[in-house]
Amino acid sequence: MSQTAIRLDRLSKHFGPKRAVDDVSFEVQAGHCYGLIGPNGAGKTTTFSMMTGYLFPTSGTISILGVDPFEPGALKGKVGVLPQDAILPPTWPVGALLTYYGELSGLPSPEAEARRVLEKVQLPETWGLYSNQLSHGMAKRVSMAQALMGSPPVIFLDEPTAGLDPKIAASVRQVIRELKGQHTVVVSSHNLQELEELCDATAILDKGKLVSAATMSELTGQMAEFRVQLARGEVPTFEVKALSGVKDARIEPNNVLCVSFDGKTIQPEEIITRTCGLLVERKVLFTGVWRGKKLEEKVLQLT
Amino acid sequence: MWKGETVRATRSGRVLALLILFVMFVSLTLAVVGFVTRQLNATVDKQLQSAGVDAGDERMKEQLNQGKRQMLSVVITDDEEMLESLLTLPVVLLFVFKLTLRFVPLFVALMGFDQLAGELGPKSIRFLVVRLKRNTLILGKFASQVTIFSGLLFVCTLLMVLVAKALNADFAAKDVVLWTGRLLAASFVLALAYLALTTLCSALVRSGAVSLLLNIMVLFGIWALAFFGEYFTLPGEVVDASSLKSMITDESPLAYTRYLSVWHYGQDLLHPDWTRFLTAAVVHVGFALVFLGAAQLVMKKRDL
Repeated sequence: MSQTAIRLDRLSKHFGPKRAVDDVSFEVQAGHCYGLIGPNGAGKTTTFSMMTGYLFPTSGTISILGVDPFEPGALKGKVGVLPQDAILPPTWPVGALLTYYGELSGLPSPEAEARRVLEKVQLPETWGLYSNQLSHGMAKRVSMAQALMGSPPVIFLDEPTAGLDPKIAASVRQVIRELKGQHTVVVSSHNLQELEELCDATAILDKGKLVSAATMSELTGQMAEFRVQLARGEVPTFEVKALSGVKDARIEPNNVLCVSFDGKTIQPEEIITRTCGLLVERKVLFTGVWRGKKLEEKVLQLT
Repeated sequence: MWKGETVRATRSGRVLALLILFVMFVSLTLAVVGFVTRQLNATVDKQLQSAGVDAGDERMKEQLNQGKRQMLSVVITDDEEMLESLLTLPVVLLFVFKLTLRFVPLFVALMGFDQLAGELGPKSIRFLVVRLKRNTLILGKFASQVTIFSGLLFVCTLLMVLVAKALNADFAAKDVVLWTGRLLAASFVLALAYLALTTLCSALVRSGAVSLLLNIMVLFGIWALAFFGEYFTLPGEVVDASSLKSMITDESPLAYTRYLSVWHYGQDLLHPDWTRFLTAAVVHVGFALVFLGAAQLVMKKRDL
């Protein structure tokens, strides 16, 4: 799939004099998992809320699956949303609430679908519990379950693992992983490791502005550089630089060798193997090799 | 949406609390008005007995009816046709119903102040708007409030009529049926406009408490507008000398402001002339549509 599922064009949202989102444009390809990254107050949730039709943009346009999300009923059945800070209505048992949401979505078997999504988020035991009896993590997963109802083609997840324990967070990540390819997923999170692992592409926002929108490999330079964590030995930097396809080699803090290469003329696995071979030959010991730079480093550099 | 929201509203416990409050209010009013009318009747009977007059005498009945008529013309209306009609209604029922109608807007506000504000504050409305058009959401909420309040009105009106029948043996079965229908129709139509107003107020703000406050302030505005308009007489208006209105002598075009208030049209909802009733009903429905339309517009334009 290479069609554009979501398109934002010069999107802005002002709250009085404050420009929460300022002239943001990016596209999300169908079937991709797309990350929204940025520090607190960067405009992630505001952008997210405009994409889901909760907030009206001050200017600019949005297209979700070719339709304007603000057109009445345009997104019915096409979009599932896990809003970040929405509280589940307290006077409903979870099962009845999800069944009700299924009915509103026009699903053919709302109760069966409610049971399926609760199984998916590993909470079938909450069926008869009232939503105000759920822990924070459980409520978050029930909210996620309602976003998955009816298997909508586009799913928006705002901070899906925030406040979850590591085991449950891993299971939520697994659910997102399974959605990739079949659904277009937009994930907003502060957990950069998580986004690096899950996302095909990301938009990085800072102070309401888009500072980068690129595929994960472009962003982390996976096709342009790799790093070697050195242990002992003298690195033959000049020899590494002389290798075919290598553009630059340098030692970074913490005893890390960073090698830049031309990803268009040489495959990463070839240049990594040749470099490692040279290091072994020169009796340089190392403990790890990774492509590109960590997303966290890139985000810190950009914001 | 309507079914789900109705079930949800009835689950909240507030409906039961309001029903109890409404029934308590009606019972208390019935008790007070019933006691006063009983005392009055006893005093009149005593005076008649001491004067050696038979209370069952036709002429005496006529005189008592005249007294009742005069009292109603001062307190309720100076419309001859309406007075004639109201004479078939036990005084206790008339007063209790009238008092209840006065409080209907407040009960409506108490029941529905957070129908939307209560979803906007905690943002649970976000779970709904991806599944529904915003105008469907408004209509669904309004319809569920109408359903629940109709149930409350039905229970309370029936209670009033049954008590009135028990207290007044001469309240004929035919009149019981007729008046039950008319009282239900009047209270339902009146409530429609205020239910829509509550929906509008609830769509305007994110906090339930602020929505309730706003609703009450608007109600006071509606009442104030009606009373301000009634304070003056319309240019060329002829006022019955025996009615309370005759005390107002200032003729002013400001009297027309009464027509801006939905409250002004409530009186005709009990009018025996069907055209008057229908006009009042249409005006109430019209106000309801205006309030609902405004709520739709607000919801359509607002961030959630």
